[in-house]
Amino acid sequence: MTLSISKKIIFYVLLIIFSLLVFSPALIALLMSFMSSQDIMTGKIIPTEFSFDNYAKVFDRFPLFQYLINSFIVSIVIMIGQLLLASLAAYAFVFLEFKGRDFIFFVFIATMMVPFEASIIPNFHTIRHLNWLDHYNGLTIPFFATAFGTFLLRQNFKQIPTELKEASQIAGIGEFKYYLTVVLPMAKTSLITLGVYGFVTSWNMYLWPLLATTNDSVRTVQIGLRQLQSQEQLNEWGVIMAGAIIIVVPTLILLFLGQSKLQKGLTEGAIK
Amino acid sequence: MRKRKYLLGAFMLLLALFIVGCSNKSNGNEGEENNGTQTVTFWHSMGGAAQEALNSIVEEYNQSQDKVTVNAEFQGTYDEALTKFHSVAGTDSAPTMMQVFEIGTKSMVNSGFIEPIQTFVDEDNYDMSGLEENIINYYKIDDTFYSMPFNSSTPVMYYNKDAFKAAGLDPEIAPTTYKEVIDVSKKITEANPKMKGFALQAYGWLYEQLLANQGALLMNNDNGRTDTPTEVGFTDEQGKSVFNWVKQMIDDETFANYGTNGDNMVAGFLAGDVAMFMQSSASARDVIDNAPFEVGVAFIPYPESIERQGVVIGGASLWMIKDKSEAEQKAAWDFMKYLQTPEIQAKWHVGTGYFAVNPAAYEKQEVKDAYEKMPQLQVTVEQLQSTKSSYATQGALMDMIPEARRISETALETVYNGGDIDKAYKDMVKQMNEAIETANKARK
Repeated sequence: MTLSISKKIIFYVLLIIFSLLVFSPALIALLMSFMSSQDIMTGKIIPTEFSFDNYAKVFDRFPLFQYLINSFIVSIVIMIGQLLLASLAAYAFVFLEFKGRDFIFFVFIATMMVPFEASIIPNFHTIRHLNWLDHYNGLTIPFFATAFGTFLLRQNFKQIPTELKEASQIAGIGEFKYYLTVVLPMAKTSLITLGVYGFVTSWNMYLWPLLATTNDSVRTVQIGLRQLQSQEQLNEWGVIMAGAIIIVVPTLILLFLGQSKLQKGLTEGAIK
Repeated sequence: MRKRKYLLGAFMLLLALFIVGCSNKSNGNEGEENNGTQTVTFWHSMGGAAQEALNSIVEEYNQSQDKVTVNAEFQGTYDEALTKFHSVAGTDSAPTMMQVFEIGTKSMVNSGFIEPIQTFVDEDNYDMSGLEENIINYYKIDDTFYSMPFNSSTPVMYYNKDAFKAAGLDPEIAPTTYKEVIDVSKKITEANPKMKGFALQAYGWLYEQLLANQGALLMNNDNGRTDTPTEVGFTDEQGKSVFNWVKQMIDDETFANYGTNGDNMVAGFLAGDVAMFMQSSASARDVIDNAPFEVGVAFIPYPESIERQGVVIGGASLWMIKDKSEAEQKAAWDFMKYLQTPEIQAKWHVGTGYFAVNPAAYEKQEVKDAYEKMPQLQVTVEQLQSTKSSYATQGALMDMIPEARRISETALETVYNGGDIDKAYKDMVKQMNEAIETANKARK
């Protein structure tokens, strides 16, 4: 389908306008991170002068680097844990025949209705009794089991023809090998989607890391960002925005990488 | 097969991370005593510039002696920190001392997990009367000090001196009563139609302060000081006065509505959209620094028919946690005393804009220099010191005050958006009384 030039122009102008609209909060944040607080407070949009003071202050104010590393460790461990557990669970729900399978699956899915905030207190007590406060275990393990991830992968696994399974059984391939060599490669796209999703959500967690840590040793960046804000005094928005920009960069990089991988995964499947 | 290698790699990574994690555990939870020094864990909610000031004080203290090491740890907002405390209270994870906002006082006393600092005051013969009278009045409950006052602030009225000049008013004379604020607002809007006269953030704390300034009690039973409150303590006339006042300005079109957002209000003030507003004195330094015009600071207004009573202290105090070893508590007490010394209070006052709990700090050169540069800062202290001591200005003591604040904020916003005053007021009182009843029942 080819569009006429005039239609194309209209199309692109609209697209540019909307993308700017959607992107404007991030743009304003970026601009604010270069402004002095007087500029921000008096409502300027374009900085009178660009300065990197705010960025210097962020690194000065708290151990940002340590926080970033902690966030990376926590997010990556959660991502891997989720992929592993969700794919294994989904495999069981799809390929293994056992009594009450569907019932268990629906109970499993029902847990999606319980928001994490509702289970935060029991979780917290478990973590405390295990002595996992201020510890990577406490920050990551409660998030390994995800009903959403299992559901997503189950739907995906279901599309794999049963003939494949039968064929591999004839070829003498066991369950685990089938899982590793057939199911996982075929579900690559969903796995990447789930991985990116898991990484970004755990990167953005705030309440749990705040509860499960009491000092800086394993704290994540989102709490660092909160520390930049004050309650009874004026906020230095420039510094806060600079911090937010720094924190957003890793997620953006991951999304860009994930996106290209996603597309590759899609086309790969189509060619085969 | 390549896929398999990937997975194996992932497995190994996971394993490696766990091992790293586990080895951390052994040195993460250090013992209380570490080569002779006593460790004190101090939970606080100071973010931004105040955290910087607090950290530098803590560091100075740690270096000034070698017996005690204070670990200042940020725990989120006051609300978050309090929730967290309640879930770890009574266990090893609880801190040695903790900063709690003033309206959490009652809930801390009721929690049973705190050691009143009165114990240490008696043991040590520490003289609390050396501290600012109007601050300690709030924290003295039945003649017992439960916590050590720390960061304290009150609301003040900020105004744009340049706008006053432009409207032909004397910039050195700020309006003091509701009526004067109404009149001045009219003149300012007449002189500059783009600028509104006055803004009142829909913030329960400010409503409480406006009540206290009229001598009105927020809760009955002397603001909960003599017995647990059973209903609100203000009369209809007192409670409604604020609504009527705001309504008048809304009708005059001189009122700027910023809803519950304090940051927007300050931004509006600095951008010249509004000429007067009320805000915590702790912001004074930042507002004055950032304004491209001259800023005046004045006492908060009161109804013309009555006498000005003064303000209630806001902010937070430091609590000693129960069931910690005696040595640990003693160390924390030593740090609390250190915080009250005039030198530290002077530094704190100048660095943050919070009051000095110890008035001797105002005599320090550091403070005098700061006042020379910003004479407005002194007004905030004058307002506090001229406050008449009474149950009204002592502040209410009740555990449902955070909820009461939300209720009054809703009522204020209703009025801002053109709602009926009588209905908004009646609803507010009804909801507050219900909240008091629920809170009292829950405690039984």
